[in-house]
Amino acid sequence: MSHVHTDEPDSPAHRGRVLERLLEEAGVVTGAELDAFLDRLPATSSPANGARIVARAWSDDEFRQRLLDDGAAAIAELGYSVGGGPAVVLRVVENTEQVHNVVVCTLCSCYPLALLGPSPSWYKSDAYRARVVRDPRGVLAEFGYFPNEHVTINVLDANAETRYLVLPRRPAGTDGLSEEGLAKLVTRRGLIGTAAV
Amino acid sequence: MDVGPVSLASVARINDLGGTEGFGPIDTSESSEPFHADWEARVYALVFALLGKGLYNIDEFRDAIERLPPARYLEASYYEKWLAAIETLVVERGVVDRDAVEEAVRA
Amino acid sequence: MPEICRIGDRVRAQARDRGGHTRLPRYVRGHEGTIVAVHCSSLLPDRVVAGDAGDREPVYAVRFDSAELWGVPGHTVTIELWQSYLELP
Repeated sequence: MSHVHTDEPDSPAHRGRVLERLLEEAGVVTGAELDAFLDRLPATSSPANGARIVARAWSDDEFRQRLLDDGAAAIAELGYSVGGGPAVVLRVVENTEQVHNVVVCTLCSCYPLALLGPSPSWYKSDAYRARVVRDPRGVLAEFGYFPNEHVTINVLDANAETRYLVLPRRPAGTDGLSEEGLAKLVTRRGLIGTAAV
Repeated sequence: MDVGPVSLASVARINDLGGTEGFGPIDTSESSEPFHADWEARVYALVFALLGKGLYNIDEFRDAIERLPPARYLEASYYEKWLAAIETLVVERGVVDRDAVEEAVRA
Repeated sequence: MPEICRIGDRVRAQARDRGGHTRLPRYVRGHEGTIVAVHCSSLLPDRVVAGDAGDREPVYAVRFDSAELWGVPGHTVTIELWQSYLELP
């Protein structure tokens, strides 16, 4: 990937441009609508959305319970939607003292785009998809995360229309923090489960 | 369709990677940028635009990725696979002609 | 299509490949797990892609022990399986 020559006829950049032009000529899409989609992307699809949901769950126990019971309805209270059409279900999975959750899609790369933004490269990598269902502790160690021995790792393979969001454990010593302050602690890795928070 | 008593537990397409050995360590580097290049963003937008217009559904899109030749599947970057899948689907739906695509690419 | 399984039931993922697109990965095929949730009802992707979508059917979250899948204890894998992918052990 690091030395793609974008001017070569078979480069994806060139093929993509050609295909977009042909589809525009066929009257299927317009460049302007693709531009508009991409302009909206940072607001409609960002890990900041997932972080805000987690911060609210940490601050408001009743919201937390609603989130675990019916993810889609709870995030709608904050103005979010998981997107992807009516078949897509959001399920929020809570980390506890006993269980740590980590999400993968072994068959492709399913991911809650609206709540986390376009997925990181490692999530889509063959190595992550192949290995995490079989050796989650080995994989988490490569991310620098070492859950306690007594914790059961639960790997969630998002192979159907459910999108998973991990609710990390609230870090100790954060009692005084505002919701906004808490949201800043939440990382994309924490929301997928390859980090504690 | 029914294969009877024969177990076909291990027969699968190339995309079925769970448990496969040999991929080595994971490149865990993070980027705050969602795309590595502009073309990736264009392909991303195109996939969702065509999905929204009903040119294909999500199952057909996944199927088109899985139908890539196995070597190509493993070699291609993520958004290269997406681009190849759109090309397959728009040609199969008769929206553009395969020869016209190749001609335009060489032009 | 009505639900034939309930939360807590033991089920086995079918050990077969239908050819073509499927959301039944090989690493669970032939293995037994426990239903932990009934998430939704949706069309079987295998049939959608084959052009014969059929009826919506229940999709279950099934939890497998790593000892069952990989012969090593210590973790679980939870995956969603359409009713057509399951059989009773």
